[in-house]
Amino acid sequence: MKTILIFIVCLICSVVQVAASDRCQDEVFLRRAYLTVTGALPWPQECEEFLSDTNPDKREQLIDKLLKSELGLKYMQMHWGDILRIKSEFPSNLWPNGVQAYNRWIYEQLLNNVPYDKMVQELLLSSGSNFRSPASNFYRGFQKRSPQNFYNNINLLFLGNRNCSDNGYLCFSQIKFKSTKEWKEEITYLDFHKTVPWQKIRLEDGTILKLYPDSDWREAYVLWLTSRNNRRFAEVLVNRMWYWVFGKGIVHEPDDWRDDNRPSDPELLKELTDYFLQQNFNIRALLKKILLSEQFNAKTAPEGGYTPQRLPAEVIVDAIASVTGIWSTYSSRVPEPFTFYPPRTRATHLGDATVSSSELELFGKVSRDVSLESQRNNAITSRQLLYLMNSSQLERRIRKSPTLQKIYINSTNIEQLATAITLRVLSRRATEQEIAMYKEYAEQSNQPLMETAIDIMWMQMNSNEFLYNHKSLRL
Amino acid sequence: MRTILLTLILLLSLCFGVNAQRAKSVILVYLDGGPAQTDTFDPKPEMGRNYHGNYSGVCKTNVEGIEIGEKLPLLAGMADKYSLIRSMTHGSNAHETGHYAMITGDTSGGAVVYPSFGAVISYMKRDSYKGILPCYISVTSANSRFNEGGFLGNEYKSFDTGGKPEGSEYEVEGVVNKFVDRKRMDSRMSLLNKFESNSMNCKELDSLRDINMEFIWGDSREVFNLSNEPDSIRQRYGKSKLGQSCLVARRLVEAGVPFVNVRTTGWDTHKKHFQKMNTMLPNLDKALSALIADLDSRGLLDSTIVLCGGEFGRSPKVWWEAPWNGGRAHFGNAFSYLVAGGGFHGGKVVGKSDKTGEKVAERPVRPCELIGTVYLLMGIDPYGTLPHVSEGNLPILPSLIDNKPSEGLLYEIIDIKSPDHETTK
Repeated sequence: MKTILIFIVCLICSVVQVAASDRCQDEVFLRRAYLTVTGALPWPQECEEFLSDTNPDKREQLIDKLLKSELGLKYMQMHWGDILRIKSEFPSNLWPNGVQAYNRWIYEQLLNNVPYDKMVQELLLSSGSNFRSPASNFYRGFQKRSPQNFYNNINLLFLGNRNCSDNGYLCFSQIKFKSTKEWKEEITYLDFHKTVPWQKIRLEDGTILKLYPDSDWREAYVLWLTSRNNRRFAEVLVNRMWYWVFGKGIVHEPDDWRDDNRPSDPELLKELTDYFLQQNFNIRALLKKILLSEQFNAKTAPEGGYTPQRLPAEVIVDAIASVTGIWSTYSSRVPEPFTFYPPRTRATHLGDATVSSSELELFGKVSRDVSLESQRNNAITSRQLLYLMNSSQLERRIRKSPTLQKIYINSTNIEQLATAITLRVLSRRATEQEIAMYKEYAEQSNQPLMETAIDIMWMQMNSNEFLYNHKSLRL
Repeated sequence: MRTILLTLILLLSLCFGVNAQRAKSVILVYLDGGPAQTDTFDPKPEMGRNYHGNYSGVCKTNVEGIEIGEKLPLLAGMADKYSLIRSMTHGSNAHETGHYAMITGDTSGGAVVYPSFGAVISYMKRDSYKGILPCYISVTSANSRFNEGGFLGNEYKSFDTGGKPEGSEYEVEGVVNKFVDRKRMDSRMSLLNKFESNSMNCKELDSLRDINMEFIWGDSREVFNLSNEPDSIRQRYGKSKLGQSCLVARRLVEAGVPFVNVRTTGWDTHKKHFQKMNTMLPNLDKALSALIADLDSRGLLDSTIVLCGGEFGRSPKVWWEAPWNGGRAHFGNAFSYLVAGGGFHGGKVVGKSDKTGEKVAERPVRPCELIGTVYLLMGIDPYGTLPHVSEGNLPILPSLIDNKPSEGLLYEIIDIKSPDHETTK
């Protein structure tokens, strides 16, 4: 009965397709693309260049540039770190050296755009030292290191399966760990001393895997997992990339694939998956296709598919820093020795969920306790707004902002001042209507121009335009 | 059938007092880094200098038979108001896991991350607590070494006040901002409203901002204003950060806040232990004794639980050798906690450490048993459940039902009687 109902609802939905809205303006696209791909705001100069560029292919050029930029790769690295739970301390307990090696490995995969199937194969088939064979950290990052836990996590990450009932976990039963004399170094190795001559394993979909003695049993499973015939493997990645871009999956939650949780747009999922396979698991090509899609380029219309997304914690903290020009300093108190990050390190680049700050906690930095996408909570709370409205921390940053002081020195009147602040904070040109509003405010408030500048910057940083990434999504 | 069963359970729980709430609030005075139990609540004067270090004396308390460290004379004068647990144990010597154990009552190693007990209380009181002040407040910040909200999520994490309560002006983050008065804020807000009037605004932001305006400019602002307090009281708590933070805690509890975490750092004294203790212990003595006495004189102690301790204790044996030169190491085998008010009896000692203080000799108390007792007094069923996004309902304190040897909740120092399932275990 329930299925029939769902079917009918889906049918109605697909018939009543809302007409395609127009493409968004360049300035909207610029901010949206920067925040989505790099987690950073564009610098004023980049805004000016992009807005005055007359090349019709400029959006595609921008996407290409951002996907390959260090900012883009590092932001992608953060997303992978979230679901792989990269963290020095509890509960993953990888320790700082392991975290560093693991992050570098991910960065290199992204930099070289290693095909997804190859990347997952290396991740799941590595053994050796956590420092020298970074991908082997995958199996170390569990509080309870058991074949069942490894298997559950692999199913969740790569198949979106939250409940595995088959005995595929046997493929991971040879994994053992031993420490070396080196501080916190640990070897992941395979123990072949199993007495069983060979075993047959039947996976949920009916596939039979044969496990032979004196061989790596993980291999049988991982080759099945990553093969082109296992379409679910590709679909889950495609859907996850869609989710990373739009904040909503075609299958939603993106890590909850069940028969009764169908894709909202099966055609779209099929088209993207076909493309991804045709491109040989090329993640960058897939992302480019999504970012150039009509959906990502659509106008933010109040009716229908308007989906504002609050900026993620790390992104908002970085945005506040880059707008004011005053950056937080980060350090890790995990022994030993303590880690001090260089000045102007972005929160999106920390790479270790153990490193935090009160601001990051306030805005809901992912604690990397579990591999679920839903652990990132971007709902706005009154306390977050309280911080923006009236905290001494933010007030002092604005008052001491070198960016604002520079703008103030270079402006002779309120119009120039407001224009420059708007370009810096909201990455766009101020409208005439807005300029008039600021002029009126300056006259009425009867205070030094610098104080008015502070108020304007405060106001823009409190606006929903600043706090959200404005996208349009119809699903 | 099911209704009958439910009624039965309800009746039983009423009989055994599971829902009988004694306490309204909890103040946790958290000595982050791990205080030395042998220099505070469990002195070992007879063990020689290799153990008692520079503190060979003790303070006799006003309760016969109870002695505490020589640096705590004020607390010694009021031992009838609190009880001491001298047999806390979780066995972990690492900050993060010790902290996790003491703050969640869970043992590390499971597949899920539990919320801190402040977050749990905040979750449990989400409907009944109506105050404008947050339900769970940290003065001045929570320890962020693990995810405070656990699987309950961000919403139940603590509100960190930030600022310096011991300074001339206590700038509570988001509430007290000395650059902005009401008039300035109003003109900023009107500019913001005008700016947003032509944008696609979510109504949600507007209503949240309204709530904040009430929080910033309403009565609760005065709760944080320590200049409302007579100077004699401020002196009594001591002008240290810990002292003034305890005073803030009292004011918050008076205003009805259910959970206040007063976190003070610097207790991780591997080196120069005794030099540091010479100033830190008198500060603690002053702050904690003033807090308990002040709550008592205002009639608040009966409804306010005060807890004091850290993530573990420190090694009873002093490390005299270089490079420590008189330090104490982490120690999770046997350490102490002070409990007072909210239904906890005073003048009692629970458990015992052995002669050297290195092992629990009698009545081990695990973190889950202490926290479970706090839940009980707060009217929260310690055998109840919490919702997890993908795992369904999980036990609120899994360690309470893990079948490991347990001498149960601290029924010996509260008025609630142990139900049958507890005693037969």
